[in-house]
Amino acid sequence: MRAGPSQEDIRRHNLGALLRHVHLGGPISRAELTSKMGLNRSTIMALTSDLTAAGLVREELPRETGRAGRPSLVVRPESARVYVFAFDVGPDRLAVARVGLGGVILDRREAVRLRGPFELDELTGILAGFARQMRRKTRDDTVCVGAAAAVSGGVRKGDGVIRFGPNLGTQDVPFGEELGRRLGLGLPVSVGNDANLAALAEHSRGVGAAVRDLIYLHGDVGIGGGIIAGGHLLGGHDGYGGEVGHMVVNPGGRACGCGSHGCLEAEVGERTLLETAGRLAGEQHGRDAVRAVVDAADRGDIVAQEALKRVGDWLGLGVANLVNIFNPEMVIFGGMLREIYLGSAAQVRTRLTLHAMAPQREKLRLRTSSLADDATLVGAAELAFAHVLADPLEVLARANG
Amino acid sequence: MTPLLEVRGIDKSFGPVQVLHDVTFAAQAGEVTALVGDNGAGKSTLVKCIGGIYPIDGGDIVFDGRPVQVHGPRDAGELGIEIVYQDLALCDNLDIVQNMFLGRERRSGLVLDEASMEELAAQTLDGLSVRTVKSIRQQVSSLSGGQRQTVAIAKAVLWNSKVVILDEPTAALGVAQTAQVLELVRRLADTGLAVVLISHNLNDVFAVSDQIAALYLGRMAAQVRTADVTHAQVVELITSGRSGDLGIAQ
Repeated sequence: MRAGPSQEDIRRHNLGALLRHVHLGGPISRAELTSKMGLNRSTIMALTSDLTAAGLVREELPRETGRAGRPSLVVRPESARVYVFAFDVGPDRLAVARVGLGGVILDRREAVRLRGPFELDELTGILAGFARQMRRKTRDDTVCVGAAAAVSGGVRKGDGVIRFGPNLGTQDVPFGEELGRRLGLGLPVSVGNDANLAALAEHSRGVGAAVRDLIYLHGDVGIGGGIIAGGHLLGGHDGYGGEVGHMVVNPGGRACGCGSHGCLEAEVGERTLLETAGRLAGEQHGRDAVRAVVDAADRGDIVAQEALKRVGDWLGLGVANLVNIFNPEMVIFGGMLREIYLGSAAQVRTRLTLHAMAPQREKLRLRTSSLADDATLVGAAELAFAHVLADPLEVLARANG
Repeated sequence: MTPLLEVRGIDKSFGPVQVLHDVTFAAQAGEVTALVGDNGAGKSTLVKCIGGIYPIDGGDIVFDGRPVQVHGPRDAGELGIEIVYQDLALCDNLDIVQNMFLGRERRSGLVLDEASMEELAAQTLDGLSVRTVKSIRQQVSSLSGGQRQTVAIAKAVLWNSKVVILDEPTAALGVAQTAQVLELVRRLADTGLAVVLISHNLNDVFAVSDQIAALYLGRMAAQVRTADVTHAQVVELITSGRSGDLGIAQ
């Protein structure tokens, strides 16, 4: 028989829970923490002083409260001191950010990625170079406690190997390991699917903050998804879950990069939109090209309008299927799908009315991403902070060496 | 749930022309209610009746469950009803803070209390997650169309308003700015306000609304939940006043 949790386990759990409140909710008074966590005042005091001693939080007198009595101390995250590196590898963009505890982006670098083959050496070299530049500018008392990357592809749970990434032009690459080696910080680099991580970001500090069941759809060249059910990300057995872009909506339809036909991604993706709008040969691609189509449709370009309608129809059908299966409270459109949804909402919602079941769509809310282009980066930062929140003191002791 | 704002059986004539016939309309707190209709269907007249600009000939206005009399814009303002008109009514030669407090300036003694006005304006813009404006001391003439719309909306929200009525907020805006304004409209409702959105663009209506009320030649054809109708049905309601079981009985 297994024994119950030890005193030490409980303390570690409470430290993590308190740090999570400060990390996600921002500065909060000890009194509020007492009521939110349901712990004794003296326990909260002991926990905060442990975290303060470790340099993860600091306590300050609040500004005037206007209430009688001695004001409760406010616990703030040490955002400027404790940070992680967050990486984002998209089809068209490489981004690196230094993100402080509490989710503040302290510094960032971006580069355009040209579409083409996936050169592991070159890519990790650029990313690690950006990280080094930013690290050189930090003060001596700062400490890096983790690193994580969001990539546009399927990532194996556990070892950070990109198993498939048709839109990055990659297959079976030990990305996490290589990036960790290049960084040379002695820290492992966690890797996650970009849409999964963006879903977590919107769930923890975006438009879906109070929502326990949501579906996030991310449009880039392809369509990715992250499904959060009961407050947890559905990762699946090996971590490849949530690939809604490869749900077949039109059997025998357009060819998809994954080898199948009629996937949601093939019917809604950037390529199809540009092709039906007659703009595939143009010089623009990526977000700019999509915006140009929506803009043209708005100005009355009939071809662009038709293309957007078509894409909206398929998108609505895909969302209707998801709504029937998962009964989410909220569906969030992020990346390029923000523009597409706003430009074709009439079609998307008409499809939902026709194909989603009435009880499921009754309270459904459709929203656009509030973190916008930062969603994937913020998600990667949350992934990097995950083990700090699980065991704050141990991780910090290790990072301080 | 009782609607926050409800109008029942409103009639309004201008001389011999009856513009509104027995119009009933409701707006819930926390929802965006879109008001659609062809040119001359009576959308603006209905809004001006609610805002106290035009006196109504018959019918009731019910606010938060109790019947109220609205004899002028001041009455509407006291109830917490704010209207953002198409022309925005901003002064180009004043800055953002001055515009937001225009006519309702705060004073400390004889002078204006600039510091507290500035803080409140900044708080309001921040609460709406408006990050496109560089400085709140910028003159309105230097702002883009979308930013002006944002300032006009923030001005309406500043006064603890409960109902915000927006007349064509996305007309004459580019795509990027339309997206920002639509997201702002949605956020207003998500913070608990009752938002009424007048728009000709059905895409915008479907993107953010929870309910759609369609006016047809001065009559309310139907008020329906957006999740229960298709684009084609709404177009029919606007152009012919009925669609299947919905709409005005023949």
